[in-house]
Amino acid sequence: MHFSDDASESLASESLRPDLAVGDEDDEDRPSYWAELRESIVELWRFREMLYQLTLRDIRIRYKQAVIGFGWAIVMPALVVLSGCLLRLAMSQATGSRLDLSSVATLAVKALPWSFFIGTLGAATASLTGNLQLVTKVYFPRATLPLGATLGQLFDAGIGAGVLLIVLPFLGVRPSMALLWIPVLAATLVLLTVAASLFLSCANLFFRDVKYIVQLYLIFGIFFTPVFFEPFAMGARVGRIIMLNPLSVILEGLRLAIVERHDLLVPLVSAAGVQIWSPGYLAYAGIWAVGGFAVSAAIFHRAEFVFAEYV
Amino acid sequence: MIANASVSFRKVWKKFRYGEVHDSLRDLIPALGKRLIGRGAAARDLRSGDFWALRDVSFEVVPGEALGIIGPNGAGKSTILKLLTRIVRPTRGSCAVRGRIGALIELSAGFHPDLTGRENVFLQGSIMGMQRREIAGKFDEIVDFAGISDFIDTPVKRYSSGMHARLGFSIAAHLDPDVLIIDEVLSVGDAAFQRKAFGRIEEMRGRQVPLVVVSHQLERIAQLCTHAILLNRGRVVHSGSPRDTIAAYVDSPASSADPIAGDSAVRIESMRVVGSPAIASGTGVSVTLEGTVRPHSTGTREAISLSVSLVETGEVVYSTNTALCGVQLPYEGAFALDLVLQMNVPPSFYSIRSLVWDQLTSREVFPGPSAQVSVVPGTAFSGTVQMNPTLTVRAMPDDSRASAS
Repeated sequence: MHFSDDASESLASESLRPDLAVGDEDDEDRPSYWAELRESIVELWRFREMLYQLTLRDIRIRYKQAVIGFGWAIVMPALVVLSGCLLRLAMSQATGSRLDLSSVATLAVKALPWSFFIGTLGAATASLTGNLQLVTKVYFPRATLPLGATLGQLFDAGIGAGVLLIVLPFLGVRPSMALLWIPVLAATLVLLTVAASLFLSCANLFFRDVKYIVQLYLIFGIFFTPVFFEPFAMGARVGRIIMLNPLSVILEGLRLAIVERHDLLVPLVSAAGVQIWSPGYLAYAGIWAVGGFAVSAAIFHRAEFVFAEYV
Repeated sequence: MIANASVSFRKVWKKFRYGEVHDSLRDLIPALGKRLIGRGAAARDLRSGDFWALRDVSFEVVPGEALGIIGPNGAGKSTILKLLTRIVRPTRGSCAVRGRIGALIELSAGFHPDLTGRENVFLQGSIMGMQRREIAGKFDEIVDFAGISDFIDTPVKRYSSGMHARLGFSIAAHLDPDVLIIDEVLSVGDAAFQRKAFGRIEEMRGRQVPLVVVSHQLERIAQLCTHAILLNRGRVVHSGSPRDTIAAYVDSPASSADPIAGDSAVRIESMRVVGSPAIASGTGVSVTLEGTVRPHSTGTREAISLSVSLVETGEVVYSTNTALCGVQLPYEGAFALDLVLQMNVPPSFYSIRSLVWDQLTSREVFPGPSAQVSVVPGTAFSGTVQMNPTLTVRAMPDDSRASAS
């Protein structure tokens, strides 16, 4: 019988290429970064079905034997919104202002990407160590495991986004041209999350400490990331420090684009005279996402051939 | 290098570390940093705690060939499998496999207990590198082969271990690989399924799919392979036809004890098989032992014991001794003992071991040498034992049949 699949056919002839076939560490002429990147993308493409099946597995087992089923996808962001509302309510009591609908909308807009980010970190960090049986015994591009975990969470985020689409109009959000920034911000967020997933899953395989560090972040990260508050609420200097976190930029960008209907190419100064947005922030987050992805993909690919030896 | 080799291992060295990989975080961060930027210590040097799992191993397999790899535990067989399946990379040398690798190893590693058999077929198939269309196209065949059609929509956590293993094998067996790698795989399922599995492998071999087999089942290696290599401590110590390589394995010092000095009066110096060591099942093998008896000793109460065991399992299939056979050893001096054993046993590899036994104290006083014979299929009988049947045909006169009725 012969393969009908062209991808595996072409690789069959390619697998004797020196950069794939030779594992000679003695030679200092390692394949270049681009050759390795190309190799890992070719391998991932060959195993795209595995990526799909792993995502499907993650989604299926999360909802098998669960009564609420897919409802669980919105429980986490809904809880974030609820606790944010409580916090805002307490603050409004203290300051004498009232909790308006737009701040509920702001919370909802930020809760979803935040839930996606921490959900993915948790799932991806454990993705290699949770599948040791596979990692030590079977060949496949290892990146499918953290990527599958990310895609599984993305599916949940998709359900959440569908719910937001229905809910936001009731919270006073009107469509505007600024909504076109959502795909850009979402893509930046996904790339940033993938970069963190690749790096953390790989690091956790070598040092189990990473898992505990990630757990701490999952618990306390929300206090250092502007989910419940606006980055510049505590003044320009603190705001600029908070905005060093690329995730802050993405959350703030989403708030401005969706709730404030602000075009992100235009700088924005608050009523108090603090500059709360400039297009530079967007570029900054973009550099983090692309650079972080390039670096973590390289580390991951270089390390993946010793995974089986180091677990 | 042969141009059309499907598998080629060229001067492969592989280094592993003993024990814990890192002692402290302090050693490790600089080490990791170096490794990640690819400027670690030169790979040719062994640091403390390192060992070579493979040293300078080379071999090639072309389509139509089947290579058997044998050797004691820790010889490096699993390391070769991990290199072939690309789970690890060689420290030095190169290792290449052309085309899709089908590995009959860890057949159900990707199964998730909560998913149904159907869902797991697609998951495991994709892990092995199949596309959805391909799996869907072979789905019925896979399920039929595993014989679990009734349970395909049941979560695999409710499967028996046999069903689990059969489904795993069946998926792997339908991969249509360019190279097939097998590790002790025929221990899957019951006897009937094992026959079916073996048939499937032979069918792939018939299609000229190159094969690499690692097994302790020497008889399987002899049946399946066109050539074999023997590994010991990471090196190839013998390479040749499966029978020769197996003979070298069972003959290697690790498996036969050298005669050592004891306090016995009788010493056995040598043991050899007269004629060819390949014996047809049901025929006799001649063995000659030579030894000496120390003068003025307790030699009269000592006997030479002989036992025949299966090399694969170590199971003793027959044992006897000179006293039981009514043979008296000389009081002193050199002697030769000729022995003919009728090998009424199924084809396999057997080890004949000699020892000197003190009849008074019932203990072994001298571990003697051993010899190996390979029993090949013969015409005398088939099955596991020779029953020496007595058959008589009697003609029945017509009138005796009439009176009986």
